[in-house]
Amino acid sequence: MRDVAIIGCGMTKFGRSQGDLMDLLAEASLRAIDHAGADESDFDSVYVGNMMAGELVHQTAIASSLVDRINLVPAAAERVENGPASGASAVKNGFLAVASGAADLVLVAGGEKMTEADTDVITDLVSTMTHPTVEYVHGVTLPAMAAMLTRLYMERYGLSERHLAMIAVKNHANGMKNPYAHIQRLCTVEGAMSSGVIADPIRLYYACPISDGAAAVVLCSMEKAKEFTDKPVRIVGFGHATDVQTLQEREDPAVLKSVQIASQQAFRMAKLEPKDIDVVETHDAFEILEIVQSEDAGFFEKGKGHLAVEKGVTALDGELPINPSGGLKARGHPVGATGVAQIVELVWQLRGEAGERQVKDPKRAFACNFGGFGNNTVIHILERAW
Amino acid sequence: MEQKFTGFKCKSCGRVMYPKHDRCLSCKGREFEEVGLGKEAKLVTYTKLYAIPEGIEMPPLILGIVEFSGGVRAMGQLTTDDPKTGMKLRPVWGKLRKMKDREIFGFKFEPVNKGLKGKSVNEVGG
Repeated sequence: MRDVAIIGCGMTKFGRSQGDLMDLLAEASLRAIDHAGADESDFDSVYVGNMMAGELVHQTAIASSLVDRINLVPAAAERVENGPASGASAVKNGFLAVASGAADLVLVAGGEKMTEADTDVITDLVSTMTHPTVEYVHGVTLPAMAAMLTRLYMERYGLSERHLAMIAVKNHANGMKNPYAHIQRLCTVEGAMSSGVIADPIRLYYACPISDGAAAVVLCSMEKAKEFTDKPVRIVGFGHATDVQTLQEREDPAVLKSVQIASQQAFRMAKLEPKDIDVVETHDAFEILEIVQSEDAGFFEKGKGHLAVEKGVTALDGELPINPSGGLKARGHPVGATGVAQIVELVWQLRGEAGERQVKDPKRAFACNFGGFGNNTVIHILERAW
Repeated sequence: MEQKFTGFKCKSCGRVMYPKHDRCLSCKGREFEEVGLGKEAKLVTYTKLYAIPEGIEMPPLILGIVEFSGGVRAMGQLTTDDPKTGMKLRPVWGKLRKMKDREIFGFKFEPVNKGLKGKSVNEVGG
C-alpha cells in the first residue's frame, strides 16, 4: 500500500444554515480544494459521507450532484452511508483508493442538513439504526441507550452526573474558540446539571445538538503531496470494526468492543500505542461516550475515564486534549459530516492552524467515529509528515 | 393471555440467543429451536425516557435491560415507575405503542411483587 497524505481540508460553519445540503457540501469541498491548492487539478474519485439525504431532504445520489456542482466531472463519485460514521467511512474509502493506487487525487466530503425537520422526526430516523424488532418497536431511542449505558457506568464505576457536566463545560469552552462550532456559549456545571432530563440520567446538556453542516478533505499519495503542500498529514492507520447490534446482547453492555477492536487495528497498522497520541476527537453524541470511547480506545484504564476530565487531563492544555473542536457536543453533529469534521479538526491541529484552540505542538492525532450505538466504529490515526 | 418469552437455542452448540440471528453467534450454526427464557429476570439497567417516540401515550417511557437466569438479556418497557437495578421482573404481554395507527404488541416487564406497588411490605402484611 502507498502512503496517503491529507493535503487540504475545509468545512462550513455548523449549526442552522440557510443553504441546502448541496450548498453545504459544495462550500466545504471548495474550501478543502483551495486549502490544498488543487483548484487546477483533476480528481479521480469523490466519496460523500451522508446518512439521510433521501429521508431528510428528498435527494438521492448526492455524490453525482456534488461533482456536477463543483465541476469534478468525470471523477468517480459515490455516497457512503454508515449511519453517523458515514463521514469516517468515506475517509476510509478515500484512503483505500489512494493507498491501493486506484486513485491519485481524491476528494472526501461529508454533510447533512437536519435542522429543517422536527426534532421528533430526527430522533425517530436516528432510532431506526436500532434493532427493528427487539429495540425500535419498544420505543428505544439513542438517548435511551446512552442513558442505560450511563447508569451502568454510575453503578459500576462511580461515575457521577457532575462528570458528565464537566465534559459538557470543557467541550462548550472549546467550542467557544472554534468559529465553526454550532454552539458558542459557555456553560457551567450547575447550569448543565439543571437542564431538562431527556432520558434519565441524561440531561439536555449531556447530549449533542441537531445541526447542519459539511466538511471535506483532499487526499493524495505522499509522493504527490509535495506538489501541493509542505505540510502534508499522513493517515498512518485506520481501524473499522462492528459488534452485535443490540446493546443487551453484547458480552458486557458497558464495553464498546467495536471501539476496542478498531482502535487496536489502527494502532497496530500505525505501529503506535495510545501513549504516542497527542490529541483526540471522540464521538461524544452523548458525554458518556467521550468517557467510554477514551477508555476502550486504550487512553485510560476501564472505569477511570471520568477521572481524566476531573484532573484536567483532557482539557486543551492537558496531557491528552480530547475534543479541542468542542466535539459533537459543541461543534454540532450533522451526522454525515461529523467523521470528516473530526479529521479536519485534527489536520488543523497537526498543522498548527487551529487558532485559539490550538493544542501545543501535536504530532499524532486520533479520531473515533461511531456508526450506531457502539456497534460500528471507524478509527483514524494521523501524523505530521514534515 | 399466557405467552412465553422465548429465545433461540442453537441446535449445534446449545447457545441461547435473543434476538434471533440467521447464524449462531458462537458456532455459525443455522438451525435453532425456540426455548423459554424463564419466568423471571433481573433488571440490569434502565432509563426514564422523557423525549418519547411517536405512539407512546405519556412520558416518561420506562425502558430497561433485563437478564434471565441463563444469562440471556432483553430490552423492553417496564411497567413500574420506580425501577431499581437488580429488581426481579417478569415478562408480560401487552401493547407497546401505536405506530401509524397500528397497535404494536409485545413483551414488557413488570415487577414480580406487583401487588405491593405503592405500599410497603408492612402495610400489605399488616
